[in-house]
Amino acid sequence: MKSFSKGISILVSTLLFFMWMVSSPGQVGAVNAKFDFNRMSDMSDFDPNNPFIPTGDTFKIGVLAPFSGPATVIGQVYWIAALWAASDYNKRGGITIDGKKKLIQLVKGDMEFKPDVTKKVAERMILEDKVHVLWGTAGTPNVKVMNEVANKYKVIAQNTAALTDDLYEGPNFTRYSFMTCWCSSQIGRAMAYYYGQIRKKEKRFYILCQDSTFGHIFAEGFKAGLKEYYPDAQIVGEDYHKLFLADFAPYMTKIKASGAEVIYTGDFVPDAANLVKQARQLGVNIPIAHIYVEDPPSLTEIGVEGSRGLVQLSWYGFEGSIFKAPEFVKYYKNWNNAWKKWKAPYNTANYEHPLGSLGSYIEQTYWLLSVVERAGSADPEKIIKVWEGDTYQYANGKIQQMRACDHKTIQDLHILEAVPPEEQKAFFNIPPYYFDKNYSSAGRGFRIPADKIMPRIDPTMERCKGAK
Amino acid sequence: MDPITAMYVTQGVHGLAYGMVLFLVASGLTLIFGMMGVLNIAHAAFFMLSAYFAYQITVSTGSFWLALLLGPIATGILGMLVERFLLRKIHTLGHVAELIVTTGVMFVIMGAVKFIWGTEFLYVSPPPVLNWSANVGGMVYPVYRLFVMVLTAWILALMALVIFKTRLGMVVRAAVSNAAMVNALGINVPRLFMFVFGAGSFLAGIAGVTIAPVLSVFPGLADQMGMDAFIVVVVGGFGSLGGAFLAAMSIGLLSSFGVQFLSQLAPLLTFAFMAIVLTIKPTGFFGERE
Repeated sequence: MKSFSKGISILVSTLLFFMWMVSSPGQVGAVNAKFDFNRMSDMSDFDPNNPFIPTGDTFKIGVLAPFSGPATVIGQVYWIAALWAASDYNKRGGITIDGKKKLIQLVKGDMEFKPDVTKKVAERMILEDKVHVLWGTAGTPNVKVMNEVANKYKVIAQNTAALTDDLYEGPNFTRYSFMTCWCSSQIGRAMAYYYGQIRKKEKRFYILCQDSTFGHIFAEGFKAGLKEYYPDAQIVGEDYHKLFLADFAPYMTKIKASGAEVIYTGDFVPDAANLVKQARQLGVNIPIAHIYVEDPPSLTEIGVEGSRGLVQLSWYGFEGSIFKAPEFVKYYKNWNNAWKKWKAPYNTANYEHPLGSLGSYIEQTYWLLSVVERAGSADPEKIIKVWEGDTYQYANGKIQQMRACDHKTIQDLHILEAVPPEEQKAFFNIPPYYFDKNYSSAGRGFRIPADKIMPRIDPTMERCKGAK
Repeated sequence: MDPITAMYVTQGVHGLAYGMVLFLVASGLTLIFGMMGVLNIAHAAFFMLSAYFAYQITVSTGSFWLALLLGPIATGILGMLVERFLLRKIHTLGHVAELIVTTGVMFVIMGAVKFIWGTEFLYVSPPPVLNWSANVGGMVYPVYRLFVMVLTAWILALMALVIFKTRLGMVVRAAVSNAAMVNALGINVPRLFMFVFGAGSFLAGIAGVTIAPVLSVFPGLADQMGMDAFIVVVVGGFGSLGGAFLAAMSIGLLSSFGVQFLSQLAPLLTFAFMAIVLTIKPTGFFGERE
């Protein structure tokens, strides 16, 4: 009888363990694939200024990005991220497609941040360059066009950067496009979860976003999140400014008068940098909750004190410390050591760490290549079959799950609190123990579990009926 | 001062400060068009180039004041070269040719900036002596912005003095009115125009250097301020210094109080203002040319 009870208790414990594994928020028990540190190439000679781009019978990825105009810097970031992952695979001998090893060829497509040019360039890349995948891009209207082109020509598209949920809902949805970045419905709720369930301190928020589709959706997500996770919170002001605004001073006066304790913004550069810079110049020193104030020159400009208290929601974040696994240290140093030899424009502090948004773009590309490798084919239908419902673990340990019904990615997000360099040691736990001595940066990280910030589901989509 | 009054006063000062900045950018454009009749599309590019000069000089020497001296001079010399070797040859071909050439100059400057400095966002700090905030009756205000306002007022006064109270200004105005007659009096009109174009570019240079510590320096800076500067010139009336000043102040105050009272419409107010003014008076506030 005693051994029977013991057997029952072992069985129950085992069952409970598996139930916990399955339901554990944000962490899937088993992944289909993960970043393989053992296969990582020696990338010490990687040179983004003089890259090796194979030609001939290759697997082609069309990197659709603004390579000219005011947003050129975005194109540079996309390019080096995709190039790094492709070069790593090429050093391994390429990717097996239909039983044959093929090298990965990146093709540049300058979409100039304009939807009409995006259409023209995407079609050219498919029809003339014969790319197998469209990779990118910045701006909701541009990704909408990219997805339409992908759908028309039945070519896989990977949305690495446009965060608007609507792109994968209703008539906008296409089976051929996969949203591997985060989405707007996750972001606002994640920030609200942090303030309501983790920090539990500030209660008065002022929303200041760009007057764009993304800016409004970004704000709506936050308001919905506050209702869900922080009902005591108060929105004391809400404004939308024009893109590339020169003068934030009138907004700062309103913010001061409102008694706000936190500014919530979805601005990207240059607006993000100008907002923070002018806020500090005008004596507005309250925390600014953001996602894109991360370029080192702008942080250097506002200094250690000005950047202290910035709160960033990150799609490539960490909890506790960054360098927990020795393999990840090796991965990081592989990049960081190579960076020391690069020339302009890649020799700046923007490219020093393969973390933040840059880190995410690199790992999103690895995910794409892993999917193609497992599909063993360039056939879009086979790629779709592998990618829908796929779970993939990044080098930093974060697990991504591609929701099959609407191709949005379920993932944990992280909040990073900026602290002065001397307080970053526990987070940036390898020498020199800080990101940069000239400004405050991430010193504390908090995980926002994926199940608290599930991407929005469009109830009208037949494919999503009954989906979680 | 009670908090509400302080808020309105602060918004008023913000409006005036932004208006001054707009005028600073637009003043050179007004000068070139008013004196020479050339609509210089490259003006905003000169302004942006000067901001890059400011960045380079402050990084190299650590002195903002040196940048404020050398940046505008370099931009002014470049402007004179453009006038001497490009615009002078096509003056007789009319406005379309000038538009095409100055547009070309704009693209060349943009390309050169990207080639030399890349596309990163660069930053210039205000000089330490101005990098603090003054507390006036409970209103905290950055001293650097006050400096920009004073500098702009000084430039406005100087320009008005030169154009309307000196022999040089009289000759320039006469040359615009009847170049052949002034030439017959023994004055080298082409050289005069070269200096006027250089002076306009110099003013763009001052604007570029002074704005650099407030904004990010990047190739899109020309677009960021250029559009508003053109609106100032159009609303003020082509070539009218007083009109440009009035338009800049109006737009500055409209932007500031627009954010305060009509924040949802704030991004549209400047354009609505331009449409209303031009509907009532197509030549702008004090303009004579359409």
